[in-house]
Amino acid sequence: MFLTRSEYDRGVNTFSPEGRLFQVEYAIEAIKLGWTAIGICTSEGVILAVEKRTTSLLMEPTMVEKIVEIDKHIGCVSSGLMADSRTLIDRARIECQNHWFTYDEKMSVESVAQAVSNLAIQFGDSDDDGSAMSRPFGVALLFAGIDEKGPQLFHLDPSGTFVQYDAKAIGSGSEGAQQSLQEVYHKSMTLKEATKAALKILKQVMEEKLNDTNIEVMSMTPEAKFHMFTKEELQEVLASLPETREDSLRSTSNMTPSIRTSLSMQSQ
Amino acid sequence: MSMPNKADCFSSLPFWQNGPAPGAFYNFPGTAASSSNYNDCGIQRTQTPMVTGSSVIGIQYKDGIIIAADVLASYGSLARFRNCERVMKVNDNIILGAGGDYADYQYLRSLIEQKIIDEKCLDDGFTLKPKSLHCWLTRVMYNKRSNFNPLWNNFIIGGIEDGKPFLGTVDKLGTAFSDPVIATGYGAYLATPILTKAYDANSQMTEEEATNLIYKVMQVLFYRDARSFPKYHLGVISKEKGVEIRGPIEIEHNWEVSTMGRNQLR
Amino acid sequence: MALVDREPSRYLPDYDVQAPKQLHFSPYADNGGSVVAIAGDDFSIIAADTRLSAGFSIYTRKQEKLFTLSSNTVLGCSGCWCDTLTLTRVMAARMQMYEHEHHKTMATPAAAQMLSTMLYYKRFFPYYVSNILAGLDSEGKGVIYRYDPVGHCEKNYYVAGGSSGALLQPLLDNQVGYLNQENVEKVPITKEKALAIIKDVFTSAAERDIYTGDGIFIKIITKDGIATDFFELRRD
Repeated sequence: MFLTRSEYDRGVNTFSPEGRLFQVEYAIEAIKLGWTAIGICTSEGVILAVEKRTTSLLMEPTMVEKIVEIDKHIGCVSSGLMADSRTLIDRARIECQNHWFTYDEKMSVESVAQAVSNLAIQFGDSDDDGSAMSRPFGVALLFAGIDEKGPQLFHLDPSGTFVQYDAKAIGSGSEGAQQSLQEVYHKSMTLKEATKAALKILKQVMEEKLNDTNIEVMSMTPEAKFHMFTKEELQEVLASLPETREDSLRSTSNMTPSIRTSLSMQSQ
Repeated sequence: MSMPNKADCFSSLPFWQNGPAPGAFYNFPGTAASSSNYNDCGIQRTQTPMVTGSSVIGIQYKDGIIIAADVLASYGSLARFRNCERVMKVNDNIILGAGGDYADYQYLRSLIEQKIIDEKCLDDGFTLKPKSLHCWLTRVMYNKRSNFNPLWNNFIIGGIEDGKPFLGTVDKLGTAFSDPVIATGYGAYLATPILTKAYDANSQMTEEEATNLIYKVMQVLFYRDARSFPKYHLGVISKEKGVEIRGPIEIEHNWEVSTMGRNQLR
Repeated sequence: MALVDREPSRYLPDYDVQAPKQLHFSPYADNGGSVVAIAGDDFSIIAADTRLSAGFSIYTRKQEKLFTLSSNTVLGCSGCWCDTLTLTRVMAARMQMYEHEHHKTMATPAAAQMLSTMLYYKRFFPYYVSNILAGLDSEGKGVIYRYDPVGHCEKNYYVAGGSSGALLQPLLDNQVGYLNQENVEKVPITKEKALAIIKDVFTSAAERDIYTGDGIFIKIITKDGIATDFFELRRD
């Protein structure tokens, strides 16, 4: 098995005899090394929450910008290779502006996901349309937006597949987080409940203790559209979360969380 | 029609693929700046017709379509070529008549003939339909005019589609329309009134009535259009009898009246 | 004396064969035609005459110049017919592409904006077409957009364009917009009134403009769909 795999995982243009594109699968694996991001879609709006890993205590935490605005009505969070996400986000923004320019209307969230997906699968051989990426993008995206169909959440992975979700987690803690989302999610959730649920789950999967600098939260509502939580708003939500036993354990741990994070990355 | 190419699926590409890029035509031909450069740029485009055919006329009758055009190809006022057929059979359900530059017509004819051969090679039982050819020809003419390299022609296309007669026309700009009566060139002024009157009186005329009408009209054209000739071809298409190119048909003419006034004056 | 002085060939162009006659090629033609559109609170009516002509020659008397783009958008075109044919085909193709890409029918305001950009993209080799777009907006209100050949777009609720545009616009200003009328109650126009006005103004246009006549096709756009009407005009 290992032999077969190594023969067919060098290029993105060759299927393995089992019909798999290993490079694409590896790219999906790459996301599982990334930070955890959670999106929950409610009838009132969509919430995005993400952990910010600072690999060094000397790093300026505000420089890490993981939730970005695509257009006034669409926000996006990524997990995986940060640099790759920039290319995709740039395309999403261009497509949105182009759509507005040509049609004088907001681009729908699904169309943005579709447009970015078109870029995401342009890896492999270059053709008449210009040179292509030599590898898949190593990043997954969650698009949270509001259009005429109401609040929506879309997930896009390196294979270019995009799927609408009620709630979705990506990144290193995604498996556990997705399980927890399944348990807490219900259709009549309020945005406030969703925010709390997202942070609670984030707390479960994060190794650091949650504070107002190591997470980012965004809400997408019909009234305020794209809104990044300020430090004060974050503190307010964090204060409302119930204290768990792990919290006290973590605070007594003498190993700094940042070092633990980088060690665990290496071991993977 | 400019169909989006496959790249359109992935990105927003130009709105216009066969036309010039925006900003590419600051110097329109004929202005002092550009006309002197014609020879410098190495390509000569048809800006003016050379050897030309005159009117083409077409009418719908009960079972089909008749198209007629005389056999003269003039070089200015010189009656240069006196045996040029300007009505062609495209396939079993299309006929085509051409006026204007004869060389441009010959070029287009070779293009169409190749198209028909290509289609025969496919051997899939499908054949080109008159409306399709009409639309295709409109696109060809429009694209050529957009590149300032027009085919200097007026085409009349006749055929049977879905059991119904079709008569359409395209000019050098890509102006296209369809009507039961069409005449180009001087025919637009001289033939249209006669043909329209006859068609309005009896839109269900027989083939014989229609050919007689065409004969009459071609005679009027010969008498009044100085670039016409007393010999013409007929393209007849009907559901029952298919395509037939008839001719050359001679037009009887009598110019005795022209000397009468002169004799009196002397 | 003066006659002899001049070059004789100037008077006998037929014998001037040293150089071929320089017929200058123009990519444009004026094929005439007029379009009138009136919008109300819950409807939009657009009408275009059916004459296609060039100079003193009438090409055909029954050329439809209204193009139904969707169940609530109709485009009326007049001017250079070859450009109209091309523009409307590209427009229809773009409408179809939009439907595939975004899984919905393009709304009238979106089509209006797209038409504007399409026209402007050919700023230096324009489509010589006077466009009027009629439809319903997202609230179901009637809207009319008018354009110049290079993409200037203006929203209105009554518009006349094409060869009789200058002739009819002031008439509509007065009859539909209640301009230059004193002591008049400015009631919103009804569908029946709009239809009657359109038929009247076209009858007037056909009297004075040789490029307008033969008949008019009328499209009445409401939330229930598009109804079609035909009205005869003088044919001379």
